[in-house]
Amino acid sequence: MITAGIDIGAKTIKVVLADDGKVLAKSLVPAGIDTAVATRQAFDQALSAAELSRDQIDRIMATGTGRKDCPLTDDEITEVGAAAKGMNHILKTCRTVIDVGAEEGRTLRCDETGKVIDFAFNEKCAAGAGTFAEGMARALQVPLVELGPLALTSKQAVQMNAQCAVFAESEVVTLIHAKTPRQDIARAVLDAIASRIISMVRKVGFEKDVALIGGVARNPGFVEAMKRGLEMDVHVPEDPEYVGALGAALAAAGAD
Amino acid sequence: MANKAKYKTAPLKCWQKAKELRQKYYEDYAKAHERGGLRWAGGAWTFSAIPSGLGEDVWSLTSEPYGASIAFNKDFSLRCLEATEKASYARDLCAYMRNYWGSIILNEYAFGGPFPKPDFIWQDHICCSHAKWYQVVSDLENGIPHFCIDVAVGPYKDVAPHKIDYLVGQMHDGIEWLEKTTGRKYNDELLIEAVKNEFRSTSTWAEICTYNKNIPAPLDEKTMYSLYVFGTLNKHDREVVDFYEELRDEVKERVDNGIAAIPNERCRLMSDTQPPWGFLKIFRYMEKYGALSVGSLYSFGLIGIWEDKPDGSWGPRTTPMEQGVEIKDRDQALRLYADWTLSKPEWQHFYSPHLKTEMMARIAREWKLDGILLHYNRGCEGLSVGIAENRLGLIEAGFPVMAFEGNMGDEREFDEARVKDRFDAFMETLGVKKD
Amino acid sequence: MASQVGLDQETFATFRNWRLKRADYARQWKERTGGKVVGYFCTYAPEELMYAAGILPVRILGSHEVQDVTEPHIFAMFCPFCRDCLAQGLKGRFAYLDGITIAQSCLHIRQAFTSWQKHIPIDYSYYLPMPNHVQSPRAKPFLTKELQVFKGSLEQWLGKKIDDQAINDAIEVYNRNRELLWRVFELRKGDTPPLTGEEAMEIVLSAQMVDKQDHNAALEKLLAQLSTRQTTRPTGTRLMILGSEDDDIEFIRMVESCGATFVIDDHCTGTRYFWNKVARNGDVLASIAKRYVERVPCPSKDWPDRTRVAHVLRLAKDYNVQGAIVMQQKFCDPHEIDVPALTKALNGAGIKTLFLEFDVTVPIGQFKVRVEAFLEMLQEEDLF
Repeated sequence: MITAGIDIGAKTIKVVLADDGKVLAKSLVPAGIDTAVATRQAFDQALSAAELSRDQIDRIMATGTGRKDCPLTDDEITEVGAAAKGMNHILKTCRTVIDVGAEEGRTLRCDETGKVIDFAFNEKCAAGAGTFAEGMARALQVPLVELGPLALTSKQAVQMNAQCAVFAESEVVTLIHAKTPRQDIARAVLDAIASRIISMVRKVGFEKDVALIGGVARNPGFVEAMKRGLEMDVHVPEDPEYVGALGAALAAAGAD
Repeated sequence: MANKAKYKTAPLKCWQKAKELRQKYYEDYAKAHERGGLRWAGGAWTFSAIPSGLGEDVWSLTSEPYGASIAFNKDFSLRCLEATEKASYARDLCAYMRNYWGSIILNEYAFGGPFPKPDFIWQDHICCSHAKWYQVVSDLENGIPHFCIDVAVGPYKDVAPHKIDYLVGQMHDGIEWLEKTTGRKYNDELLIEAVKNEFRSTSTWAEICTYNKNIPAPLDEKTMYSLYVFGTLNKHDREVVDFYEELRDEVKERVDNGIAAIPNERCRLMSDTQPPWGFLKIFRYMEKYGALSVGSLYSFGLIGIWEDKPDGSWGPRTTPMEQGVEIKDRDQALRLYADWTLSKPEWQHFYSPHLKTEMMARIAREWKLDGILLHYNRGCEGLSVGIAENRLGLIEAGFPVMAFEGNMGDEREFDEARVKDRFDAFMETLGVKKD
Repeated sequence: MASQVGLDQETFATFRNWRLKRADYARQWKERTGGKVVGYFCTYAPEELMYAAGILPVRILGSHEVQDVTEPHIFAMFCPFCRDCLAQGLKGRFAYLDGITIAQSCLHIRQAFTSWQKHIPIDYSYYLPMPNHVQSPRAKPFLTKELQVFKGSLEQWLGKKIDDQAINDAIEVYNRNRELLWRVFELRKGDTPPLTGEEAMEIVLSAQMVDKQDHNAALEKLLAQLSTRQTTRPTGTRLMILGSEDDDIEFIRMVESCGATFVIDDHCTGTRYFWNKVARNGDVLASIAKRYVERVPCPSKDWPDRTRVAHVLRLAKDYNVQGAIVMQQKFCDPHEIDVPALTKALNGAGIKTLFLEFDVTVPIGQFKVRVEAFLEMLQEEDLF
């Protein structure tokens, strides 16, 4: 059975095409202003990458913040359910999934079948999400992709106020003026994000194996910060930002 | 895929009366002076029976319900909140309070016309903001006489004579103060009547809530908000007693005839803290899943007075009159009043969240619930105090819990789309699907 | 770390070391006396009663370090101080405590106490319903009775009676401490205060961490030294700091490095802690109750009249204050509600104010910019 999972996030649309659990193709497109257009675009891209046509897809499931408005889908699943399903497929021993996207952070606990037991979201706080990291990278004048590697070269921890993103941004400016080495600031920023996320994770608790997914998981400095804060190893799957879409594709195929 | 309706539904017969009664309450307050009477302002939990002793032409405006009424109207609320912020008050203060102050600053009464200034303030104090709310009201209105009774004496399970003395002492002082402030002679007969009314109305409300133990529930919480409100306006008033008894009879009838609040009830939940008043349609969204909230410690115990029944269940507290007690004088009335009110369920968590967790778990068991929704309400510290421990305790007790952040009275702090998202995820974990 | 040019660091080392090594002090005290250590969460805790029972009462404070452990226990909309306090408990930094107690004041800090009770192993805990209607004559008899109940509870825990003599002796020690602290603070009224606000804070904070007898001895020594010390440090602009709870020494140090000196304060780790003595008059518990009911109030208890405003204005006048920093623990409602009235009164009395919101850590850089601008503004005023 060939299914499609469409993850309509705040910043990007991800599509995964799967055939009974085997990934055939994937695509990622910026959401832009018109998500309907971007969704179709992402879907078409995935179809052509898999050399399939629309009517060869048996079922389409949407997830993500924009899932309710998706014109293409047959059904929907929440980001939490999709993340659990996706990660369970990749790593059967996974029991905790931490998902950090552009605007939201989520955590969930699941059992061996990928069923969600409990979850929490990062509430109304930008300091725990990707957009904040972007803003910090700008303040440090490094490209976002370099923020993580830069942080990894830091030899010392510098404390930052981790309650408020707006405060933190101007704190970075102060640290720069105080001639704090850029790698230490980069590390402090990622530690601050990790601290906010871990605060949320502790609400629900965590047990191994812990997986980190979502776009921000591609940041090696952030992953290091999470490992430090959780005092535990963290599994980052290949293509961490596609796990939600994969989960949706699997949900479309399987019986719930 | 639509499910066939499992249960009959029917609108409440006394709904129209409820609307009229509420409208009348706010009109009476505004028109008090025209009638040669007095009007006062104070909290929903204030000992409202006491000013009744000043005469039959005394009307009130209670603060929290008025704040909630403003919050219903998002446009007006926003203007009130912004006016308050312009006057240098912080945004994280109690949302009801900020709405209320804004209404005074703008000089606009939520029910039409200018804001009617009270003749005196008669308040109670248990959360940190209560008395201070009215310090600012007095400032904004160039001084209004203010008397406030401190009720924070500890949990009811530890009640002792000296705690009652403290409350009653303040009440006696308050009555003297009322006489001096208004120039009126106090009438103990009216006090006793009012106190008895309050015992009856608050006990009857608890009784009404017990009918929701029935499957299907005859009332849903969204509807209950429009009914429990009278206990926050003038619970000492004869009209409220009569209304609640009428409502009780109707709810009992619904149970006897299998009339449900929603036709597809298959997921019974309870909520906690005040709802986001500007977004009550969240409750309607829940109904798509056949889910409803059958109540909460808030709607049950904010005004309802409860006790352990002989069969071990939670039920309405037996009134002194039902126990054969005859109330003969002022002091006796005040003592009974103090004791009665101190047993209020929503006053216990101020001393320990673990007391509240016990009550909530009990409701979840006796009302046969599938899950609990916790509104981490940024707008009210008093009811959100300890809520994180309630969450842990309820999970420990084996109940599925969904927490969401919001604000009962500041619509800028409630994200409707996100909350619906979380609710979808919660229903997924419970295995409940939409109709 | 030498923070002030011209002032003798040695003198204050005792107080600073007590604060920095409070856990060591507590453990040594326990070994020395065999007594119990009880942590309290609010300055309304009747320390005299505990001290009379042979207990060392110590104030639980935060560490000003970012933490991620309290979110499951306390909703983040509650003040950073209460979360910081609980974090210390959860991290085991108060493992030496035998008990905890709270005298009811505000809602926020209560949560640190109730979460502590449930999640951190502790031998004894007690919630004292300290009345809020302190302006009512009914508050004293009520508190007196509650103190009797508390006394009974302590006696049961410790397995011994607390007699009036012991309570009287405790009152004496505590009154002496208040007297001495008051005398130190009196010295700050002069044109060249012989101690900085930072040093004053060290002294008052350490008082909340050690046996008052030890603290009194150190204060006596300090007073002798202060009376003869020459200070070369310029006082600069005379400031007051007022707020809810404030123990952020780093902030005080920063401000005082900008050409200013804090000469007085009104917050609950400062003067509100020690300003009032117990007037012994007959029944010991009634005397103690009187002190706690009539003391300079926490904003949560200052109603219906706002007595705090008059008190702050008086302090400002007595200490010849030029400007006031109104600090605000983020989310602290009672103080927040007072701020507009306090600001209005201070401005009306010709004292300019700077409002700053504090968190567990403060953005020192941003605050410095604001403080420098504020001081510049005040100094310009002086020219006319």
